[in-house]
Amino acid sequence: MHNAPTGRLRPSAKRFVGEYSIILITLLMIAISTALKGWTFLSLSNFINIVRSNAVVGTIAFGMSLVIISGNIDLSVGAQMVAVASVTLTVVEGVANPVLGAILGVLTAVGLSCTLSLITGIIVTKGRVPSFIVTLGMQYIYRSILVYSLNGGGTTTKNAAYMAISNHALFGWLPMMIVYFFAMAYLFYYISKHTKLGRHIYAVGSNEKATRLSGIKTDRIKILAFVLLGFTIGIAAVVESSRMGSINSTSSGISYELNAIAMAVIGGVAMEGGKGKLSSTMFGAFIFGLINNILTLIGMNTKLVNAVKGAIIIFAVLVQRKSKER
Amino acid sequence: MPERALQMTGIVKTYGGVPVLQNVDLSVERGEIHALLGENGAGKTTLMNILGGVVSMDRGAIELFGEKASIHSPADAQALGIAFIHQELNVVNDLTVYENMFLGAELTRFGQLDVRRMCKLTQEVFDRMNVSIDPRQMMSQLETSYKQIVEIAKSLLREARIIIMDEPTTSLTQREIEKVFSIMRNLTREGGATILFISHKLGEVVEFCDAYTVLRNGEKVAEGRILQPDGSKISQTDIARMMVGRDVLGVKVYEEREIGEELLSVENLSVKGAVNDVSFTLRKGEVVGITGLLGDGKEQLVGCLFGDIPKQSGRVALSGRPVDIRHPAQGRRKGIGFLPSNRKENAIIKDFSVKHNITIVTLDELCRGTTISKKRERAAAEEARDRLSIKVQNIDNPITSLSGGNQQKAVLSKWLRARPKVMILSNPTQGVDVGAKNEIYAQIMELAKGGIGVIITSGEAQEISRICDRALVMYHGSLQGELSREELTEENIMILSTGGALT
Repeated sequence: MHNAPTGRLRPSAKRFVGEYSIILITLLMIAISTALKGWTFLSLSNFINIVRSNAVVGTIAFGMSLVIISGNIDLSVGAQMVAVASVTLTVVEGVANPVLGAILGVLTAVGLSCTLSLITGIIVTKGRVPSFIVTLGMQYIYRSILVYSLNGGGTTTKNAAYMAISNHALFGWLPMMIVYFFAMAYLFYYISKHTKLGRHIYAVGSNEKATRLSGIKTDRIKILAFVLLGFTIGIAAVVESSRMGSINSTSSGISYELNAIAMAVIGGVAMEGGKGKLSSTMFGAFIFGLINNILTLIGMNTKLVNAVKGAIIIFAVLVQRKSKER
Repeated sequence: MPERALQMTGIVKTYGGVPVLQNVDLSVERGEIHALLGENGAGKTTLMNILGGVVSMDRGAIELFGEKASIHSPADAQALGIAFIHQELNVVNDLTVYENMFLGAELTRFGQLDVRRMCKLTQEVFDRMNVSIDPRQMMSQLETSYKQIVEIAKSLLREARIIIMDEPTTSLTQREIEKVFSIMRNLTREGGATILFISHKLGEVVEFCDAYTVLRNGEKVAEGRILQPDGSKISQTDIARMMVGRDVLGVKVYEEREIGEELLSVENLSVKGAVNDVSFTLRKGEVVGITGLLGDGKEQLVGCLFGDIPKQSGRVALSGRPVDIRHPAQGRRKGIGFLPSNRKENAIIKDFSVKHNITIVTLDELCRGTTISKKRERAAAEEARDRLSIKVQNIDNPITSLSGGNQQKAVLSKWLRARPKVMILSNPTQGVDVGAKNEIYAQIMELAKGGIGVIITSGEAQEISRICDRALVMYHGSLQGELSREELTEENIMILSTGGALT
């Protein structure tokens, strides 16, 4: 409630901390890590490792951010990714020419994933079923069909061209996985901030009724947000399955959806929709990776790592809410 | 001599360096219905929030019935017998009426909820108020006006000594308002309650209140009794002048202008359960008002024209060509603009800045391909701001930092940018103070002078008679009658609204 609407904002120091809190938190964590491990922490190869181990989930987090901002959520991304990767690897293995196989694989991944997300989007909007429920159901469906058809095992490929997608290093030292991650970060940042679609996604998430009454086809916007997420899942499927040349129906993609949501939320995306910056999601991914790093460094029991992660997620959101309050 | 019900003295409140209340005094006698008046931002809500324990004052003293009172939380206020009925409904839709009535003060018997007694007591209150509401009904099923009545009943139940009502009638129609006021009268006469009443509707204030205090820019500028020594009531014009510091009500807003050819033709339009066989036309440059009481169907009628509500039967034509509009996106493409009522739920995108709210309808024009041109967007928003004189320091500020009147101007400007041929405004001055009302009326006149056909829906007969060329009065979904400008009086509107006929 604003009792004295004056059209003004509060003092700039507080605002600065609020706006850039995510970067400050990232720097803080890097400082903690450096204190723990020493200057060797601040090496390029270490950072590359941290980003690379979170690149796949991080990519999905960008798409997830848009879906959450639009007022929905998707709990099936991990399972969808594995399903898409399985089909992709099958295609890749089935084509004699390695390069052609790799290309067809990528096209299959993106095409299939986008189509699956399109279907999800249509059920949510036209069927008027909450996305939480729809995607919860789809997660069970995907996973179950996968485990059934692959008998709990996986799919593999020896296609070198396909495996080069994730394993190639630019200029000899820059892993392509990093490049994909930053490319997606930029693409989604651009969509969210500079395109009409991005603006509409924020509007729908903030107030669907008002957006509809502004003459905007809100169902279409929500579906497009899902399709964009589908795109990131397709890319993630390729990157993940090309790394080892394999994907497993029981062990791959576990908790990817929750981790993607965590990255988005740490980055400031609000569960109620309408709020959040894609650039911050990127930092959310860094922080997520740094948490893992720090906990390993201090020798925390791997079984307790998730407990700490959970506490940090809650803390990160608390800090953001406080700094946004007037 | 009985003590005053309420004496607030020297109240000071500052928000981050900005003085919101400067040395304000407020005296309310027992059993009074006391109106607290002032433009948006004058400090009325802040003053009441202090009394209600929602915010704390920086300096000052509060005395209740002669005793010093220390109020630091809503619980403190409630314990002292102060009930605060807020502007926005504070009801829980997913609970029943009696559950809402006893929220936080539930009755138990041997550790279990005593539903029977709660329902009985609730029913008793409703009987006293002469309203028929089923205590076991779900809150969500009640009309907004009834929800408001339940809130008032709640304060009765808690035997509040002082009831603060912050614009309780904005979503009520004339009939319901009269009912609320007769209940208020009973509360003060028989119940011994004292009522503090914040409202922008000066007609209500003059008709129903006993005394008034006027705030302007955080200071008390006037107080007095509605009934003057000579037996007459103070005029709305005088009150408005005290609120704004200049003459506002007497200002003539209606202007003659050229009325052009037929723009919109509606034939036998019906909307399921709400509108029954309505026909009318709208011409270029005309301002047509649609009014009526609760349940008249005017909201559904215009919602259907815009494409938000499905049409059951009938024909609509724009500039002679038949149209079938099924979605607001289509309505916009066909050249219709729509400013919905209840802007907080329906028109304002609260997480957006003023600038982004202004450009949301017309982003297409500001794009190069898929990319939004930030430069063009800023220029467009600034132009809109200047055109409508929206008071805002920086258009990148959140829309929620604007006052009600300026917010309304912002959402109006988002549609003006689309250059509609037909502009529908639902309750255009809802929650807008007298000063800003005139500015919005002037804007409406500008639109009409520019050749746009304007449809206004409003429950305020005074508003309709001030700016409309013609008025359509609806009754239970049907068009009860049409009034030309000469026939446009509040009395005629009331006759038709209640199902009567003009002689």
